[in-house]
Amino acid sequence: MVEIVFLIPLLTGVMAFFLPQIFSRSLLVLTGVIHLILSLYLWIRRPQALFEIYFSVTPEGLLSLLVISLLFFLISIYTSAYLDKTEIRSERVFTGSMLLFLSTMTMVTLSDHIMVMWIAIEATTLASAPLIYTHRSAATLEATWKYVLICSVGIALALLGSVLITLSMDIGGVDVPVSFSALTGEAGRLDPLWLKTGFVFILVGYGTKMGLAPMHTWLPDAHSEAPSPASALLSGVLLNCAYLGIFKTNKIMHAAGLGHFSGTILIALGLVSILVAATFILKQTEYKRLLAYSSIENMGIIAVGTGIGGLGAYGAMLCLIHHSLIKSSLFLSSGNILLGYGSRLITETGELAGRMPKTFVAFFGGFAGISGFPPFGIFIGELFIIIAAFRNGHYIAVGIFILSLCVVFAGFAKHVMQISFSGVHATIRMDEKPGMVWPQYVLLLTSLVLCIWIPDSLYQTIIQAVNSIGGRF
Amino acid sequence: MIQAVDTILALALLSVLISFGSSRLPSLIKALAFQGVVVSIVPLVIGHDLTLGSIVFTLVTLVIRGIVIPLFIYLAVKKVAIHREVEPIVGYHASLLAGLALIVAATFVSPKFNLPQAGDNALLLPTAITLLAAGMFLLMARRNAIAMVLGYIMMENGIYLVGTGFSVRAHHIVEFGILLDVLAGVMIMAIILQNINQAFDDVNTALLRTLKE
Repeated sequence: MVEIVFLIPLLTGVMAFFLPQIFSRSLLVLTGVIHLILSLYLWIRRPQALFEIYFSVTPEGLLSLLVISLLFFLISIYTSAYLDKTEIRSERVFTGSMLLFLSTMTMVTLSDHIMVMWIAIEATTLASAPLIYTHRSAATLEATWKYVLICSVGIALALLGSVLITLSMDIGGVDVPVSFSALTGEAGRLDPLWLKTGFVFILVGYGTKMGLAPMHTWLPDAHSEAPSPASALLSGVLLNCAYLGIFKTNKIMHAAGLGHFSGTILIALGLVSILVAATFILKQTEYKRLLAYSSIENMGIIAVGTGIGGLGAYGAMLCLIHHSLIKSSLFLSSGNILLGYGSRLITETGELAGRMPKTFVAFFGGFAGISGFPPFGIFIGELFIIIAAFRNGHYIAVGIFILSLCVVFAGFAKHVMQISFSGVHATIRMDEKPGMVWPQYVLLLTSLVLCIWIPDSLYQTIIQAVNSIGGRF
Repeated sequence: MIQAVDTILALALLSVLISFGSSRLPSLIKALAFQGVVVSIVPLVIGHDLTLGSIVFTLVTLVIRGIVIPLFIYLAVKKVAIHREVEPIVGYHASLLAGLALIVAATFVSPKFNLPQAGDNALLLPTAITLLAAGMFLLMARRNAIAMVLGYIMMENGIYLVGTGFSVRAHHIVEFGILLDVLAGVMIMAIILQNINQAFDDVNTALLRTLKE
C-alpha cells in the first residue's frame, strides 16, 4: 500500500483547512513525523504499489522521497517556531497548503505513469501557489501570478510532450502501459522522431518548473516573496520533483539509444542556466534572490551532470541530495535574518556574526557547502561531473562550467562577507530560539555526514538510479 | 462521418479567428466557451470505439471545458473588470491576419508529419497546431491578464485535441485527473485575478513590473 504515503498528508492537509487554528502547527509536525516513518519503511521494504500501472517505488523516486520527508519534518519544526514570530493572516490556509504541497510532491516521486506524473507536477504548482501569496502584498501577488501562469503554460508543454510519447508508441506499434518503467523496457521499438520531439517538449516543460534558464524567470520572484519555510520547500524539494520528470524521460531516451541527443540538450540548457545565474548573482541586491539564483545555478549543474551521464550522473545525484539539504537550511537561515533585520536588502544587513551568532554559523556553513567547499557533498558531486566531462571530451563545456562556478563563488562570497561582517546600524528584532536554528544545523550535519560516509544502501540506490544513463564510471 | 469531424473542426478554427478579433472580454470568453464545446465533442464524432464510459467522460469534459471554466472566468470578469478591453499589444486587424496566416501555415506543415492516423481527418492536426499556436499568441499579444488565462485555456484545448485525435491509450481516470488539474489551475488564476484587481484597480499586466532585475 504505497499510496498511503501521499494519502495521509492529503487527508491532514484537508483537515487543516477546517480544524481550528490551534491544531494546525501540531498537525504539521505530526504529519512530518508520520511521513518520515512511512518513507523509511518504503526505503527498507520497497513494497509493491496497489495500482501498479500508476505508481511504483523506483530508486530515483525513493531518493527524492527520503529527501522530501526529512526536509519536511525539519521545516515543520522550524515553521512552528517561525509562526510565533510572524504575522500570517490565515495560518490554516498556510499549514493546509504546506501539507497538500507535501502530498503532491510525494505523489510525483511515486508516480510511474507518464500522465500521472504530469498531473502530480501540475498539482504541486497549484498547492504551492497559496504559500507564495501568504503575505498578501502587491509584490507577492505579482510573484504568485507569474509563478502560476509561467509554470502552468510550461507544464502544458510537458503534457504535449507526454502525448507525443504516447504517439511514438502508437506509431511504433508498442502495446504496453504508458509507464516509465514499461516504456524503458520497450524503448527500442518506439518511433525515434516522435520520442525525440516528446523529450524536447518535456524538457522545456518540466525545465520551466525546475528553473532552467531561459525559462527560470518566475523562480527568483517566487522564492524571494514566499515566507522562508515555503521558500525552503520550493527550492529544496520542488525543483527535485520537476527534475525527476526529466530524469525518467531521459532514461527512456538512453534505453532507446538516443542518449547522445538528450545529453547534448541537457548540457546546453544546464550551461545556459549556470551562466545566467553567474551574471545575476554578481550584481544581486537581495539575499533571498541571491539564494534563488544559486538554486538556478545548482539545477544547471545537475542538468549538465545528467547530460554527461555515467560518473557525471552519479555526481548530479550527489549534487541533487546535498543541494536540497544545504539550500533549504540557507533559506531557513535567511528567514531568521529577515526577521532580525526586517529587510531583504543585503546593504541593510551586516555584522551577522556578532548580532545573531547562531544563525551566522548556519548561514556561513551553508554558504561554504553550497559554494562547493571540500567538507560538503556539492564539492564531490561537482568534482565527479568535471572528471566525467573531461573523460567524455566535453572540453568547451567543462571550461564554461568551471569558469562560471568561479564567478558564482566570487559573487556569492562578496555578498556573504557583507552580510556577515560589514558594519551596520540596525537593531535585531528577534532572539534565536532553538527551534529556529537547530533544523538548519541538522540539515548541514546530515550533508556533512553523507559526504564522509555514505550508507551502503544509499550508495546502491544511487547506482541503481543512474546505471542506465550511459557512460563509464 | 468524416465530413462531420471536419465541419466541427472548422468551427474550432472559426472560434480562433473570432477570439483574435474580439476587443471585449465577454465576447472573447464566449468564443472560448464555444471552442470548448466544439473540441470536447470531437472524440464522439471520430468514434474510435464508443463505450458508455467514453460517452460519459466526453459529456463531463464538455461540461467542464464548455460551461464551468468559461462561466468561472465570466463571473471573475463581472466582479473585477472595470476595463473590459483586452488591451492588445498587437492590434485586432494584425491579429486576424496573423490568425489566418497561422491556419494556412498549420495546414501546410501538417501533411509533412506523416502520421498514419491523420489520413481520415484532414483537419485534425492543422486545428490542433493552430489552437496551440493561437493560445501562445494570445498569451503574448494581450496585456490583459484575463485574456492571458484564456490563451492558456486555448493551448490546453489544442493539446486535448492532439491527445484525443491520435492516441486512445490514456485511461479515463487519468484524463479526468488532467481535466481536474486544468480546472483547478483556472480557478486559482481567477482568484489571483480578483486579488490583482483589488490591489491595482486593474488587471493590466503592465502594472506587474516591480519584481525584476
